[in-house]
Amino acid sequence: MKLFLLIAAALTIALASLFIGSANIAPLTAIKALFGHGEEAHILILQQLRLPRTLLGLAIGAGLGASGAALQGYSRNPLADPGVLGFSACAALGAVAALYFGLRAYVPIFALIGAGLGAGVLVALVGQRKRASVLILAGVGLGALATAVTGLIMNFAPNPWALSEIVYWMMGSLREAGPAALLYCLPLTTLGLLALFITAPDLRTLALGEDTAQSLGVSLPRLQILLVIGVALCVGSGVAVAGAIGFVGLFIPHILRALIGADPARLVPYSALAGAGFLVLADMATRAISSNGATLYLGILTSLIGVPFFLWLATRKMSS
Amino acid sequence: MTALAFTALTAGYGGKTVIRELDGEAQGGEFIALLGPNGCGKSTLLKSLAGILASSGHITSNETNVRSISAVKRARHISYLAQQRDMVWPISVRDVIALGRAPYRGPLGKISAEGQAKIEAVIHRLGLSEFAERSILELSGGEAARALLARALVVDAPLLLADEPFASLDPAAQIQMTEILKAEAESGKTVIAAMHDLALAQHYADQIWLMKDGIFIAKGSPDAVLTDENLVQAFGIHPPKGGFSLPRIAKA
Repeated sequence: MKLFLLIAAALTIALASLFIGSANIAPLTAIKALFGHGEEAHILILQQLRLPRTLLGLAIGAGLGASGAALQGYSRNPLADPGVLGFSACAALGAVAALYFGLRAYVPIFALIGAGLGAGVLVALVGQRKRASVLILAGVGLGALATAVTGLIMNFAPNPWALSEIVYWMMGSLREAGPAALLYCLPLTTLGLLALFITAPDLRTLALGEDTAQSLGVSLPRLQILLVIGVALCVGSGVAVAGAIGFVGLFIPHILRALIGADPARLVPYSALAGAGFLVLADMATRAISSNGATLYLGILTSLIGVPFFLWLATRKMSS
Repeated sequence: MTALAFTALTAGYGGKTVIRELDGEAQGGEFIALLGPNGCGKSTLLKSLAGILASSGHITSNETNVRSISAVKRARHISYLAQQRDMVWPISVRDVIALGRAPYRGPLGKISAEGQAKIEAVIHRLGLSEFAERSILELSGGEAARALLARALVVDAPLLLADEPFASLDPAAQIQMTEILKAEAESGKTVIAAMHDLALAQHYADQIWLMKDGIFIAKGSPDAVLTDENLVQAFGIHPPKGGFSLPRIAKA
């Protein structure tokens, strides 16, 4: 029942987001335009702008939500989020490097390469040491290094325009999400989600601790590889399209835990659904707020919602 | 057939050998108490036998080389109750116990009707019915320990390895838990439990394996192992005059 409610909510939000934008198009006209009927301009707006943006929002949100749920289950810590493995920072480093060299068009590819390299380095660093704490620690270190190098690149930005481009890109936005991004973002995110869904039963057993999970047949190295691949694909393709969007993976699983229970296996698909709905909703909010001239970036909005939540969660955990 | 046999079992952590060249044998129906001072290698031995820790040497169970079977098959054969009982998620007691059926799950994670029946039976047997829907985080230490023991029992494996299952429990709970393990052994299973209570070991165990510094210093019946000489060597203590005695549980 809750699953259907969640699906219905995500679909409703997705549909609503097709009707909202700076061009005032009536819902019925919009639906017709979506299927190629009506004014040329309307068809263009719906098919080339709004639909890809909505689909990408759904995909990226799903990837972030599922990654967060899987990482929290894996580390057995509600404070873990996709950022802890450092892939968002690595993807961002790749993208920023592209912007530094003026390769605006290659930002997504560089971001994907960054996430892929990050995943490779992490697996090489951790090797057969199968403790979750080792992976998380290495991930945090990797992320910090990538962030430092990103800072270095900004430090030596060739001109103010490159710097401002980098800064805006890092705020995260679906503004430039076009049909081309769908071609790589959807398949990569789907693969990533698949890898994360496969880990779900093992994450449930892992609730008993690493030793007991192993005694029940869970292979920690296999789980780790699937998790790294899944998170790298979801986060890498998300950052490639939209830049840095933080905290979705942190608070979506946590809110769901209050609604559907703490089963780490169920939380992965549910968080994918809720993350998808939330990100499109947040994107609609940025469009609504931005329409008076100034632009509100999606990454800023999710962080503005996420950080207070994070602080509340962290202090509550400390006091309990 | 021998339920469990191991020879030249050697294991450790990060290049440091903790247990060396251990040999042992256990039959179905036996309750074995694994005794020894802290750090002597009891947990390392149990983890090696459970296949959680890499080790060298031979381990066979019912003539099958345990290393040659898949992790899931091994999981159906050997149940392991870990020493650490840190649960982090507020999961219901019933769901925690159900995790013991993980090695039998279908591809969609469904638990069979037989598995469900085993879960209900163990909940009833261990007196957990009134807590079954409560979060495991809300239980007292003793109740949570019982729930986790139920999780290990529901695997229904011929071999149960329990690492200090009574640690930090009150005396009555310790006796109750030991009686559950003893009953499990009497039903034909092999139970090996690391413990520190010498009186419990004396009264309930069929065999005692006494360890010190990574090797067995004595193996055999409680009377043969819990001698003055062995206890001085293992723990630096003399047995109490008149032997080890257990408190009796008062009738409610």
